[in-house]
Amino acid sequence: MKAMRKLNLILACVFLVGACNNFDEEINRNPNAPSEASGPQLLASAMLSLPTLSSTPQAQFMAQYLAETQYVTASLYPQSSTSFYGLYQGPLINIETVLRNSKANNELIIAKVLKSYYFWHITDRWGDVPFTEALNGSENFTPAYDTQQSIYNALFDLLEEAVETPVVGQTSSDIIYAGNMDRWKKLANSIRLLMALRLSKVDASRGQAEFNDALAAGVMDSNEDNFVFRHLADANNQNYWYSQIEVQGREWWALTEGLVNEMKPVDDPRLAVYGNPSRETSDYVGQLYGDTEDFDTEKYSLLGNSIWRQDAPVHLVTYAQVLFAKAEAAKLGWIPGGDAEAAAYYNVAIEQSLLQWTGSTNGLAEFLAQPGISYNPAQAIKQIATQRWIHLFMHGYEAWAEWRRTGYPDNLVEPGGAAVPRRQIYIESEQFNNAKNYTDAVQRQFGGEESLYGRVWWDVP
Amino acid sequence: MNFSVHRAEGVVCFVSLQNPRTLIRHPSILQIMRISVVLLAILFTTLEVLLATPADGQGTKDVEVTLMLQNESLVTAVKKIEKATPFRFVYRQKEIAGVDKLNLAEGTRTVAETLALILENTPFTYREMNRNILIVRRETANENTDGNPDIRSLEHTVSGVVTEAEDSGPLAGVSVILKGTSIGTATDVDGRYSLTLPDGGGILQFSYIGFETREVPVNNQSVINIALSPDVTALNVVVVTALGVTREERSLGYATQQVDGEKLTFTKEQNVLGSLAGKVAGVQVVGSSGASMGGTQKIKIRGVNSITGGDQPLIVVDGTPISNANFSGSSGVDLGNLGQDINPEDIQSVNVLKGPAASALYGIRGQYGVIMITTKKGASSHKVNVELNSAFFVERAGNFLPYQNMYGGGSSQTWRTLPNGDKYVDMQVDESWGPRMDGTLVRDVYSFYPQDPTYGQLTPFVPHPDNIKDYFETGYNFNNGISVSGGGDRTNFRLSFNDTRIEGVEPNTFLRRNNVGLSAGMDITPKLNVSTNINYATNNAQRPGQGSEDGVRYINQWFQRNADMNRLKNYRYPDGTFVQWNLRRPSATTGEITNFAPLYWANPYFLAYENPSSDSRDRVFGDVGLKYTVLPDLTLSGFIRSDMFTQNIESRNAFGGTGVPRYSTGKYQNREMNYEFLAQYKKDWNDFSFNMLLGGNIYDRRYSYLSMATVGGLSAPGFYNIEASIDRPSVSSYLLRKQIRSAYAMASIGYRDTYFLDASIRNDNSSALPEANNSYWYPSVSGSFVFSELLNWGPLSLGKARVSYAQAGSDLSPYSTTSFYNVGTVYAGSVTANTLTVPDNLNNPNIKPSFAHSYEAGLDLQFFNGRLGAGVTFYRLLNKNQILQLDVSGTSGYGSATINAGEIENKGFELTLSASPVQNRNLSWDIMFNISRNRNMVVELYPGITVYQYGSTTYSSVTSYLNSYEGKPFGSLVGQAYQRDEATGKILLDNANLPMYTDASHDFGTVLPDYTGGFQNVVRYGNFELSAMIDFQIGGQFFSRSKMLAVRTGLDPITTETNDRGFNVRDPVDEGGGMKVEGISAATGEPVTAYVDPQVYWGVVGRRVYEEWLYDASYIKLREVRLGYTFDKGNWPGLPFSSVAVAFVARNPAMLWQKAPQGIDPSELSTGSQGISWYESGQINTVRSYGVNLNVTF
Repeated sequence: MKAMRKLNLILACVFLVGACNNFDEEINRNPNAPSEASGPQLLASAMLSLPTLSSTPQAQFMAQYLAETQYVTASLYPQSSTSFYGLYQGPLINIETVLRNSKANNELIIAKVLKSYYFWHITDRWGDVPFTEALNGSENFTPAYDTQQSIYNALFDLLEEAVETPVVGQTSSDIIYAGNMDRWKKLANSIRLLMALRLSKVDASRGQAEFNDALAAGVMDSNEDNFVFRHLADANNQNYWYSQIEVQGREWWALTEGLVNEMKPVDDPRLAVYGNPSRETSDYVGQLYGDTEDFDTEKYSLLGNSIWRQDAPVHLVTYAQVLFAKAEAAKLGWIPGGDAEAAAYYNVAIEQSLLQWTGSTNGLAEFLAQPGISYNPAQAIKQIATQRWIHLFMHGYEAWAEWRRTGYPDNLVEPGGAAVPRRQIYIESEQFNNAKNYTDAVQRQFGGEESLYGRVWWDVP
Repeated sequence: MNFSVHRAEGVVCFVSLQNPRTLIRHPSILQIMRISVVLLAILFTTLEVLLATPADGQGTKDVEVTLMLQNESLVTAVKKIEKATPFRFVYRQKEIAGVDKLNLAEGTRTVAETLALILENTPFTYREMNRNILIVRRETANENTDGNPDIRSLEHTVSGVVTEAEDSGPLAGVSVILKGTSIGTATDVDGRYSLTLPDGGGILQFSYIGFETREVPVNNQSVINIALSPDVTALNVVVVTALGVTREERSLGYATQQVDGEKLTFTKEQNVLGSLAGKVAGVQVVGSSGASMGGTQKIKIRGVNSITGGDQPLIVVDGTPISNANFSGSSGVDLGNLGQDINPEDIQSVNVLKGPAASALYGIRGQYGVIMITTKKGASSHKVNVELNSAFFVERAGNFLPYQNMYGGGSSQTWRTLPNGDKYVDMQVDESWGPRMDGTLVRDVYSFYPQDPTYGQLTPFVPHPDNIKDYFETGYNFNNGISVSGGGDRTNFRLSFNDTRIEGVEPNTFLRRNNVGLSAGMDITPKLNVSTNINYATNNAQRPGQGSEDGVRYINQWFQRNADMNRLKNYRYPDGTFVQWNLRRPSATTGEITNFAPLYWANPYFLAYENPSSDSRDRVFGDVGLKYTVLPDLTLSGFIRSDMFTQNIESRNAFGGTGVPRYSTGKYQNREMNYEFLAQYKKDWNDFSFNMLLGGNIYDRRYSYLSMATVGGLSAPGFYNIEASIDRPSVSSYLLRKQIRSAYAMASIGYRDTYFLDASIRNDNSSALPEANNSYWYPSVSGSFVFSELLNWGPLSLGKARVSYAQAGSDLSPYSTTSFYNVGTVYAGSVTANTLTVPDNLNNPNIKPSFAHSYEAGLDLQFFNGRLGAGVTFYRLLNKNQILQLDVSGTSGYGSATINAGEIENKGFELTLSASPVQNRNLSWDIMFNISRNRNMVVELYPGITVYQYGSTTYSSVTSYLNSYEGKPFGSLVGQAYQRDEATGKILLDNANLPMYTDASHDFGTVLPDYTGGFQNVVRYGNFELSAMIDFQIGGQFFSRSKMLAVRTGLDPITTETNDRGFNVRDPVDEGGGMKVEGISAATGEPVTAYVDPQVYWGVVGRRVYEEWLYDASYIKLREVRLGYTFDKGNWPGLPFSSVAVAFVARNPAMLWQKAPQGIDPSELSTGSQGISWYESGQINTVRSYGVNLNVTF
């Protein structure tokens, strides 16, 4: 009888002290969650976080792609913090777990590439961040901040390592490239190439060297190689903008006047994809960025339907980007060929961008012939950068980094007198949870002043 | 048989009290009623057998008994007859002890015949008196010629008057008993009694509640007059302590406080724990609006003792620990804490064991104090008590935020126009910064619905000042209860049934609750007792949401002052189209609206009727126990205790509202068993008294749930089922098991009723702790010294000093010591991936239980026989090694880590005062007052970490925190403040003359109150009783998001004030309007006085500057007022019942004083299940209830 057994046990507890702390081993084993995880499962979850690097209104405000049609606040560049915790606690710790435990080469290659991409993204937004001491759990709850320069150096090495790791066998659950390891390596080299270009002002010689190494190792050579997250027509895996605009009914974003003014006069075929015609005028009308008075969803071009489809993809690293980088490198003399090569890369970059966004190259020739669009050696850097900005639509943080480096496009506005930020403010919790290292980092980089206008290492005036 | 028919009528009468309409609407209630009628019928039939008493005139010659004796003693024979008949024997044990070897052939005879046969060859005979049979020696009886004993010649009659010693007035109702027998009577109104005794010997015992019991030998006196003195030892209140052990309060070395059940029930608070507010020193209760109908009542004993805020006391009902879980979140529907499943009408008393010394015997579960509830039991009175309780309350929403009535919906004062030039109300904007409501003819939102009679028409643009009030309805609370109790010499029972039905103050909200309680006990043999308590509760509710974005709460913050609630009430046109007020603007070309899907907010009535949240719970808790008296001083007992519930929670999001249609359902099941063994030894030896206890307990919990929600929409309108999910639904199944095995011992020694010393120890073994680390010891020691015994100073009736030290602990949830992975989303595209993720919290394999050390000292004083009393307690609680999910830098890869850390100190005092300034037979006045002060300090956190983040809340990307800093009191509110000029302290203004603000790291100080307490007055005049209960809090703070948003969206009157230039602040600044802003220019450092657009000003301050919305939480609240009158046989001799009490009751009638602005109730901060109330967000209005309560005792 159960009750009798319990009585015996109670009496044992009472009269034989220490006799009753042996529990059935099963009782404290969590039946609700697995205690083992495979590398591909962890990496797949790290991939699911990729859209967060682009799908946020703040990113688009930084690059002034979108203006707020109502509740105009976040686009006015308030001095508020942005958290990077989610990236460390989410994808990065999953990747790190694979790096620590996995013996499978393919998993390690993917893990290293993903880790590099996430950290590159993080350091470009905030500046110095914890890197070497980060992701160590209970071994270090207060990781020191690494300088951006050292993070760049470490990431160049990590990407090189990934590329040099031999491919062995098959890998599963690869949402991005379906197990095509060759494409992962091309991605690694492309990231390295783009990172190298980021050094154009702060350390051109190092940049040039890395750029050429990356190129030699093999970068993307078609849109097929693009690093794209493909959302699904399924609420569990849908595009962020779909959940905002369709599900929550938020028609809160219109194309900016700046963007429309760059595209409309030159009949850019991508404009019809990027935005919808104004419901009032049936024409493409951009809204002045940061306008707090005259906003109206009827009047302006709202975000294009295909951009916020439930399964609309998110483009992260693209072939056209690589081509724009090569064009700029040629112009800078990092790679040979001068203006001729620069122009060629520039034209192909635009072609591939059109292909990526519109699915065809219709109108390419006419577009390339437009004044201001056709390659002009005297305006090359501006043209390349501006076209890159148009190409990077909805990948605001990347476009914002390129704006900080190049200063283009040069038509960004200062809403209410607030200039476009040059970095993001660390989350306040760091002042509570990691106070000393936080203070050191702010002191080291910005003389102790935490603001949106401190410049990161590579952002040289 | 008459008896049960009569009672059955009573039940029928009870049923007819119900509102037939609601009965039909709720067949399940009817079902329960039917079952309960059947149950009662069965019970009464049983009772009749149990309590079959001989009718008048039924004597030993009328009652039969079946008996057989084989060589048995007279004592045994007498007991057998006692068992089988209603008669009781009175004899002198020594006298008849030698009579044995009696034989009697089996047979059924009258009792008289039986006794005659048994006593035939003995020197004894018997006499019959009422239902008592006296065994007496034959020789003392004068035998007359026919040999029958002559009773009359031996009888002795004694009579007299009992008076009060103080004023010699007669004392009525004094019980006069011949000691050791059941022969007795009571004095009449003049204090007179008369009693017939078997002989002139024995001792008469005079007893009366509140007076000293006196014993007087009869010694053949025929008149015994006596004066009784008030009883000083009546101050020896017996209280229920840990594990249900009853002790004299004077022997306790720690503070406990008892509240009588009747003090908790008269206002019919749905969550009875809320009725403790203000009644117990050192206990802080933060409630929730009555509109939630049993919403969360947070109880904190002696401040915040856990840095996680999760320091709710253990609730124990009749020895059974019951779950006080809470299924609510910090916003949404407030389901309340589960402790409320106890039927308030069943509560005899509530004892609050405040510190670890009191609760040390609960070990790992008693760290935060214990609330011990004792339920009513039947008495062995040979009498059936039937009590009926009915209450009807009317409930009204009150305490509304103030609103302006000058400007209507929109974001600009300029009218928007249609292509034909008609002005229209900007239905796209959920704020009231629009044009002036001056009667301008405009197209309102309804005029765009082709189905509407006003389609295409212009109507005047006017305010609807009561549009928020209009949404609320008059609620009611109808409460009916019946209890039947009684018992025989060996049995006692009480059966109760309660039916509560509440219609909430918000449309389509309700609560139905039924409670059935049974407690019964029986002596199987004189040494073996079996008892049981069974409580059944069923709840069924639809409750409103709370929280700024939840349900209809938005109407207080995102609304148009021109919205007419009565227009929205019929929320559906005949063709099924829903009426909404917040739509996208009409087409700029056609002037028509084609998309009638609500934009941000759906019609409140749509939400109430189409998107209800429902919950239900069935629960059984109780115990079965055996008690064996091995020796008169030693008892062994064993109990099996159980608490089981099934909670169902459902929510819907219908087609036609905002977002995707959705359905979610969850079933949560909990079973907690406690197997308990207890040995108790009690012995008085000369001047010493000993009390010892040895016990063991196994706690076994099994909790599981299935929770599911549709994803991506529903396949068909009106079909609310997980199968209707468009995409793969989100599901989770969960199982939790936990066991705690414990052994404990306690010893108490008393000397001369003056010195007492207690010590206890408990060993707990928890399955949730790491295997190597799972056994812990918790000791306690306490002493008390009743110095009044030595002083012998007249006015001081009781003086006691007490001191104690104890350790208690607490463990953690299972599965927190090993690592595991969370199951993530499934991606099923061209590649399929099942994902797993590393959890945000890092578990710890080396965790230890936390320890609380408590030191306590106090003094209890009673003067003038209790007319004046005072109790004071000083305490210091050190909670160390707390088990925390400490927030760590996310860069470590984890958001938090389970660790042992921290030391939190609480010290303070509790003071209770009681007085009875007037106390005579006609008029009495009792006052009770309590106040407590708690000071809290976070002494230490974790090496390298000086801040613990308890919680945060983000709105519109602005976050504020509740942090605890090392070296500061727990719970600092942290957020964005005004930037101030260092020299002058004035606000810094930017170039647009708008306030500048800090980042979200400004510490505004602790949210905890300085003082809490209560004040209760009871005045009795004759059969009238008037009582009032006030509770108060001094200090503490919170910020109010409701107020902030009401101002930001232009609803608040501050946005339409007249400025010092005589213009409305909304008038153009360059025409004399604008808000006056004074500060220091950050650019120049010079003082600035400027006028700014209020919409812009509040757009900054109402979103980013939390300092502006910070309020002091001090208040004085009138919680309860009651005026009652009792009809009893004393004043209404013709009354067909024992007593009838009628009372008019008001619950929550008034907030007497508060520092926070009108419309926000600091005693009902809306943060759902969060342990600490530190912000207000979308609070539901306070509910005021007025009603009448009827209590009938048969």
